[in-house]
Amino acid sequence: MSAVVGPRWRRTHRRRVFQSVFQTDIDISQITSLQVTTANSSTGANQSFGGHTGSLFDDPLLSSKQQRRHTRHGRGHTLPPMGERPDVYHPTTTSSSRHSTPEQSLQMAAQPPLPSLPTTAANDQEAYDRAWHVVTAHIALPSSATADDSFGNLAAESQQGSRRLEPSSEFLDAFALVINASTLLPGVTQTRDIVAWHLRQVRSHFAQHVVPLLAGCVDDAVGGDDSSWQTGRRGNSYEKHMVTVMSSIRTLEAALRLYIYGLDELLSGFSRLSDGSPQAVKDAELLNTRFRRDIHALVSNSASEGLMRSVKAVLVCLAGTVLGIPSLREPSVGKAQTARPAPPGHDDLRVVAARERLLELVQQLHNVGLAGERFHVLFAEVMDAMMSEFVTGAYAGVWSVPDTRSFSAAMDTISGTTPLSASSPCIRSLNDWVENHFAQLSFQVLACISPDPHGALPVSLGDLKTFQSIALGRLAALRIDELFDIALAWPASRPALEDLRASVTTAARRRHLTDSFSRTLQRRLLHPGCSTLEILQTYISIIRTLHALDHSKVLLSHVEPSLQLYLCQREDAVRVVVSGLLASHEEVRNARKVKEAWRLQNEKARRDGEGDKLDSAQGDLNHSASRETGAVPPRITKLVELAMLLNDPSQTRHNTAALTADEDLDWNDMNWVPDPVDAGANYKRPRSEDVIGTLISALGSQDVFIKEFSAVVAERLLGEPASFDQELRVLELLKRRFGEAALQNCDVMIKDVQDSRRLDTAIWRARSTGQTRQVLSSEMLETIVTAKEEEGGDLEYHARILSRLFWPGLEREHFLLPQVIVEQQKLYEKGYEDLKSGRKLTWLNHLGQARVELELTDRTVTVDCTPVEATVIYAFQEDEGGAGPVRKTVEELYGELQMDDDLITAALRFWVSRGVLLQHRAVAGSQHQYYYTVAETAAAANSPSVPTNNPADGPVSAAGTEAGGEAALANINAGGSSGVGGGGASISAKERERREMYWRYIQGMLTNASPVMSLGQMAMMLKMSVADGFQWSNEELQEFLGEKVAADQMEVVGGKYKLKK
Amino acid sequence: MSHMEDSQNAAPGSVQANKLGGAKKSVEPAQNAAKRLQTELMQLMTSPAPGVSAFPSADGNLLSWRATIEGPADTPYSGLTFKLSFEFPSNYPYSPPTVLFRTPIYHPNVDFSGRICLDILKDKWTAAYNTQTVLLSLQSLLGEPNNTSPLNGEAAELWDKDPALFKTKVLARHKDIEDD
Repeated sequence: MSAVVGPRWRRTHRRRVFQSVFQTDIDISQITSLQVTTANSSTGANQSFGGHTGSLFDDPLLSSKQQRRHTRHGRGHTLPPMGERPDVYHPTTTSSSRHSTPEQSLQMAAQPPLPSLPTTAANDQEAYDRAWHVVTAHIALPSSATADDSFGNLAAESQQGSRRLEPSSEFLDAFALVINASTLLPGVTQTRDIVAWHLRQVRSHFAQHVVPLLAGCVDDAVGGDDSSWQTGRRGNSYEKHMVTVMSSIRTLEAALRLYIYGLDELLSGFSRLSDGSPQAVKDAELLNTRFRRDIHALVSNSASEGLMRSVKAVLVCLAGTVLGIPSLREPSVGKAQTARPAPPGHDDLRVVAARERLLELVQQLHNVGLAGERFHVLFAEVMDAMMSEFVTGAYAGVWSVPDTRSFSAAMDTISGTTPLSASSPCIRSLNDWVENHFAQLSFQVLACISPDPHGALPVSLGDLKTFQSIALGRLAALRIDELFDIALAWPASRPALEDLRASVTTAARRRHLTDSFSRTLQRRLLHPGCSTLEILQTYISIIRTLHALDHSKVLLSHVEPSLQLYLCQREDAVRVVVSGLLASHEEVRNARKVKEAWRLQNEKARRDGEGDKLDSAQGDLNHSASRETGAVPPRITKLVELAMLLNDPSQTRHNTAALTADEDLDWNDMNWVPDPVDAGANYKRPRSEDVIGTLISALGSQDVFIKEFSAVVAERLLGEPASFDQELRVLELLKRRFGEAALQNCDVMIKDVQDSRRLDTAIWRARSTGQTRQVLSSEMLETIVTAKEEEGGDLEYHARILSRLFWPGLEREHFLLPQVIVEQQKLYEKGYEDLKSGRKLTWLNHLGQARVELELTDRTVTVDCTPVEATVIYAFQEDEGGAGPVRKTVEELYGELQMDDDLITAALRFWVSRGVLLQHRAVAGSQHQYYYTVAETAAAANSPSVPTNNPADGPVSAAGTEAGGEAALANINAGGSSGVGGGGASISAKERERREMYWRYIQGMLTNASPVMSLGQMAMMLKMSVADGFQWSNEELQEFLGEKVAADQMEVVGGKYKLKK
Repeated sequence: MSHMEDSQNAAPGSVQANKLGGAKKSVEPAQNAAKRLQTELMQLMTSPAPGVSAFPSADGNLLSWRATIEGPADTPYSGLTFKLSFEFPSNYPYSPPTVLFRTPIYHPNVDFSGRICLDILKDKWTAAYNTQTVLLSLQSLLGEPNNTSPLNGEAAELWDKDPALFKTKVLARHKDIEDD
């Protein structure tokens, strides 16, 4: 305290130290005590100056000196000893010196001011303090509030403005003192910033009263309702959220009025003091802005999660209505309104109301400071979700224009001519929606909360373009997800492809498209639940769809491998394709009809159950189909699409064009575009979609295809005697693809059939008229038999003469034909040898057809069947004058016909199923012994059959049924018109041969390659080593091996197979 | 007729060399070889010869086969089974396969590492031969060794001089191998 150097410096320094320490919670009372303390502590130092009295307040330096002296003189004797703590001495200040709250400051203000001593510095300080108290008391916030009502009252009071218009002179004087303390009260040593004080008081008031109230608003309205909002059971929650938001807004508005009122008081004080000088006005404005900014920051930072959630809920609802996206919580207006989002009309009152409500709300939020950065983010999130919802909602499963109403609006769009909009109706309507609703709403809302109403537009044209491209991206993502359905719905889905074509423009998107599509394929198509036919049908649709999407076929080539790989595992794929190619016009027509009916039914179902569409799109192929129709789709047994394509002239033209001129670029092609960037190295631009070609090449090697084709053609040629137009056409097509040589066999087969028809007539003519002789070049021939009995009782017998070398799968099956047929064969043979000397016929008895007319006691049965079946039933023909009904067992037939017993059993089963034969359990026989009799009467045939112990043996008619005693005459007829091919027997023979062959392979494998092998290993080895392809699935192989194990030829050791030694 | 040095079977690196040669060429020859081998296998399976059998090895390589020969009756090898390995070059059938006895065998024309001296596996090879004919030739070689150019001189001597000792040596040498 022996300060000799600048005491003033020391004092201000000390003050700074104090300020720096107590700044955060310093307030008026503290300042008071601080002043005293400062004065007190500086007295000793001041004494050395002494001197000046009675000076005026004109010199600041002088006045401060005087102030010091006054302090010393006026209060010196009352001061406590140095070091005494001031709060002990000033009991009124003790309670408030540490904790400053508005209430306490109010208490302070309520105290009578200290006696004024205007002529001394101490008195100046006191006057200042008193003035400070007056001012702070005037603008002090209410001490406690428990409900927003209390704000309301006060706010109402403050809003009357009476006091603002005529502020009490006391306040004004005090304010003037506080503001101009340095000039009016030169003795004041310590002044404070009244605006900062107000801000602090506002802060603490807000924290103490408003925040709890806000929390109360949120809790009251929403309470435990949060979960229900999130789970989408929205019910009345919009109203609840709205109440939350509105009460919060009201609370905040009231509080803000209060705060602003205080500020306004201060500002009016300022303006009165400054007499409206421009600088002061500017300062006041600045002060005002800063204050509001601070308050808004305060509000927005303290907004609770619950409140923001409510704001979001309200925003979602209102914006949804404005944008035409129906929310689940909002019960739609009647049944007429579908749940699909659609751009709302401009005159929709609900929309107008919602828009007004939303903008009003946003404005209110902005006014109370809730429209800060968090609101921006929130709004962006909501709009983002809206766009996604609109795109998925409006366009999922809708491939043409979703709503024609919106078209009229589309005319006046700014972006109507942008290349983005292309020609797709979906994209057009989406762009229209983005522009007229989405961007418009964004613009309006952002304009409301823009801090600077005269600044740049919140949503520029560039932003609009961005919005549109984002929306297009969403649409693209949606379409990519839907691509499989699009392919299924081809060609109705063509507009959706336009969407995709317009949006999938980058290599990354193309990549995404193929990846996603491949995944969908795996999930929905390439599984055991889909028949090969379905897969192929879908494949055709995919080929056409992707071709329409991308003429370069690159997309297709990216998708195809998995499909092709899977099809290779389907052994019947080639057969399905071939028989599809060969489908007759009749079948095509039928399939078309069925399809049409199905489509109509489908559409009806879709109209009925619009809402289910999204769900069903998730299901797999079968599911979605059956769920949409509510019925099983009709069974289409052939890939008739191929036949349609084949008959389609445009396709044929394409094919020829593709085949003739695929060598070089067409220099006259004005539509040429470069190859896509993701094309492979050996990429070659295809000319057309070429469905058939793609399909055939997808099925593996040419050999396999031709082999299968020959087999199918052979079967059909043997079966159908009609014309072979279809076969010839397919043959021509394949010849163009594979070359003449590869299909020579088929040519020969067709020629054989045509020739034998001619020969047949010639032979019959020769038999009736005499003989004509023709000499033809010799060839090894085999003949297929068809026989027919004429009305006169004579058998009619026709044969087809086949060139053995060229027909696939001609296995001989030995059995004895009925004598009548053998005689016919001999006659025919003779006739043939007369016509073509030096050639011999070898009969293939099991191929061909027979028409059998059975004269039973009470009925005549005419059946088209195979020669084997005909032979078996002929054996039941009673001998002339034979005694009793004919009864035969399989063994007896086996001896009689020398036929394979499998064939006999199959034939017997056929006749039992026709109700011609009856199966009886042998009385004395072993368990598996049955005998058969002819069911002479229909009653016997229809008698209830008794289930047997062994279901595989088929029904057994009631034991003891007496078959009629009359002779049954089984006439064996063979008719050209019968349609059943005689494939069964030959296939079984082939199968037996195959089993034998595979068994040898397995033996060789286990002898040489490895003595023990697992099933998978064996299957793999067989696939590799069998020259014409291993035909069995793993299951079949396992079954076969199981038989061998049962037959004690193999054994299983540790899950692996080995030969039994 | 055999000289150990230039016998194709005698060169241990020949298999490797063949494979490398095949790899350098286009894929076509190897595919042809595979096709041909499939056909041969089919023939072996449809019309098997008694006492011999063959099959591609379990590693799934069609160019590598395992074969079995049963010792012919009335020879010292009667009742014994011999395993062999066939390695086909990628230009098969234009080059002969490399054939080795995997079962240890005591034979004038087979050395102790199983290499065989047989003219048709060397310079007399033509594309008309196939696996089955090779196997049948080897089977007959068991009964009628070519003692004029033996790989195993002792065996060639004993074959004529002491059939009983030869038989003992055959039995002593023979050991059934368990396949991997």
